[in-house]
Amino acid sequence: MKLIIDSVNFLLPALYFVTVWAYAKAFFSDSLSAKKIKTPLFLSTVGIHCCYLLARTLFFNHPPITNIYEIMTMMSFSIAATYLVIEFWTKVKGTGYFILILAFIFQFLSTIFIHDMEAVKPVLRNNLLGLHVSSALLGYAAIAISAVYGFLYLMLYHHIKSSRFGVIYTKLPDLEALERMSMVAITFGFALLTIAIAVGMVWLPRAFTSFSYADPKLIGTIGIWVLYGVGLGAKKTIGWQGRKIMVLSIVGFVISFFSLTIVNIYFSGFHNFH
Amino acid sequence: MNIVAVGINHRTAPLEIREKVWYSDDEIRAAVVDLKSNVFSECFLVSTCNRTELYGITKNGTPTDENGALIDQLKDFLITSKSASHAVERKHFYHFFSIGAVNHLFKVASGIDSMVIGDVQILSQIKDGYNIAFDAKATGSFTHRLIQATFHAGKRTRTETRIAEGAVSVSYAAVELANKIFSDLGKRSALLIGAGETGELTAKHLVGRGIGKLLVTNRTRSKAEELVASLGGEVVDFERLTQHLLHADIIISSVAAPQHILTKNDISRTMKERAHRPLFIIDIGVPRNIEPSVNNVENVFLHDMDALSGIVDQNLQKRKAEIPKVNAIILEELTEFHNWHESLQVNPTIADLRNYFEAIRQEEVAKNINRFSPENRELLELVTKRIVNKLLHTPTTSLKNGNDESLEDKHTKLHIVRSLFGLSKGAHDEEEK
Repeated sequence: MKLIIDSVNFLLPALYFVTVWAYAKAFFSDSLSAKKIKTPLFLSTVGIHCCYLLARTLFFNHPPITNIYEIMTMMSFSIAATYLVIEFWTKVKGTGYFILILAFIFQFLSTIFIHDMEAVKPVLRNNLLGLHVSSALLGYAAIAISAVYGFLYLMLYHHIKSSRFGVIYTKLPDLEALERMSMVAITFGFALLTIAIAVGMVWLPRAFTSFSYADPKLIGTIGIWVLYGVGLGAKKTIGWQGRKIMVLSIVGFVISFFSLTIVNIYFSGFHNFH
Repeated sequence: MNIVAVGINHRTAPLEIREKVWYSDDEIRAAVVDLKSNVFSECFLVSTCNRTELYGITKNGTPTDENGALIDQLKDFLITSKSASHAVERKHFYHFFSIGAVNHLFKVASGIDSMVIGDVQILSQIKDGYNIAFDAKATGSFTHRLIQATFHAGKRTRTETRIAEGAVSVSYAAVELANKIFSDLGKRSALLIGAGETGELTAKHLVGRGIGKLLVTNRTRSKAEELVASLGGEVVDFERLTQHLLHADIIISSVAAPQHILTKNDISRTMKERAHRPLFIIDIGVPRNIEPSVNNVENVFLHDMDALSGIVDQNLQKRKAEIPKVNAIILEELTEFHNWHESLQVNPTIADLRNYFEAIRQEEVAKNINRFSPENRELLELVTKRIVNKLLHTPTTSLKNGNDESLEDKHTKLHIVRSLFGLSKGAHDEEEK
């Protein structure tokens, strides 16, 4: 079992790489064969990734959320799975390259640095923790995807403005669709972060004696939550749209990324994972 | 193949010559009836603003370049039946024989012979021309098969290549651009300012794509009313132009005015009032109607003639790059058509029929040869061969003596023989198309 888990660990970045390559081929050079294989390839990659995470959970007897590199493979899976839902939901199949490349990077880092922890603190085997972490992860994945669509929106926006009618212009979906996809992702991300924060507030003080409301990660996450809340509110009330709100989605992601990495590694008190 | 094609197009003659030999539906009908009774066994005529082409099956023998008299006769016919001899000459026409004529027809149908490469209309224009001839009973089994093969080739090029993709006119490019900014034009409204031709065409295409609402305005209100009468929509006051900007998502401006009719200030103010909802402005006025710096306002997309022509040029280049793929398809379709035609020749059919019987004879002999004593085996060969020869004698002579039959009867007969005995080379079911 250990051997299988280890080999799949190395297989996954390769699978993501091939999938990303097929999506890139389909997008940039319009290759028919790439268009045909990309979705089945992607489905099997996500399927294998799902089995890998289950196998890890069963074999090590805890969900893979106990250190930052386990979190990264979960993050990679969350991004891929969320994108899968988006692709099937919106039927817009051209943008996978830009999103799955994130899944590839997270999985690649995880594969290289992951180490198996057999002895895990009992506090990390709690069901509420599972809910807290998985909703936070899916929330961050949604935020990342929203930022990618925001980025694609800005690219297309500037290409159209400056009358450049190349690949970006021909292949990307229209601006309104990109904005809509980004907004759907933000709304989901916001809802999931709300759950993560709520569960955290209830459960953390009970589980950790060292819990403090001044924890940098807690403050960071709440900051992000407030930012997205304000953005969504502005869209609803003032009717903000177009470029401004897309810039906001990218800024939000950059801050989230900072909170998830730098803060986690250098500043965190009780809230660290390694 | 007994087919000959004579035609005139944008390559061989300018518009003022081509329009002289443009045939209306009634004229096509009269012409094909005349030609069918005097020159051809089957024929049809296609006439569009870019070409007039006549395809005919001669009554006997394959025409070649030595049939100069026939070609001249056909060219003169096309000129004189339109009384155009003062302007149109024989040198404005081209001609093709046999498989060359089929090749030309396939090229026309696939759009690579068109003035605008990949033109999608030509296929339906060929269909119209053929249908008129069909109704006038000027067509037959050969032209029927030819037209089916033509549609097959034409449709394949459109589905298997990108020859017809991308906007190749400024007005379509504008609509395509609108579709890159807005998902659903049905929820958007457009404002047409002025009555220029390109502006009108763009509005027409937008209506064709189901634009939610069309507003039209003009300094001379009656002109706007005329447009609304033909396109639908609503006329609004030119004097209150800036107010209407609030309700439009797409603005098409083609006014002949010495200075800008909309400035950056106008648009900035409007954008605030419309909560920065994206605004797409197409400026096709010369000189330009909209201050160019408007493009710097957030969520405003301003494009002029130059930008749109850029899209058109780019799409034309892409279409040109598809021509080799189209030629490959045409070659395949030509081979198929040629095979079908070959299969309808008498001699190959007789040979196929004989081979079919001979194969059965040999199979049965091989199966049963051991039942016969060695001295009787030679006799077995002899007797079975004789039976086959006798069975085939009548059908063979009937096929060979069909010279006095019409081409159509001959084809029908060969077709029946082939399908009865399953000699299917190239002669696959016509029904499947």
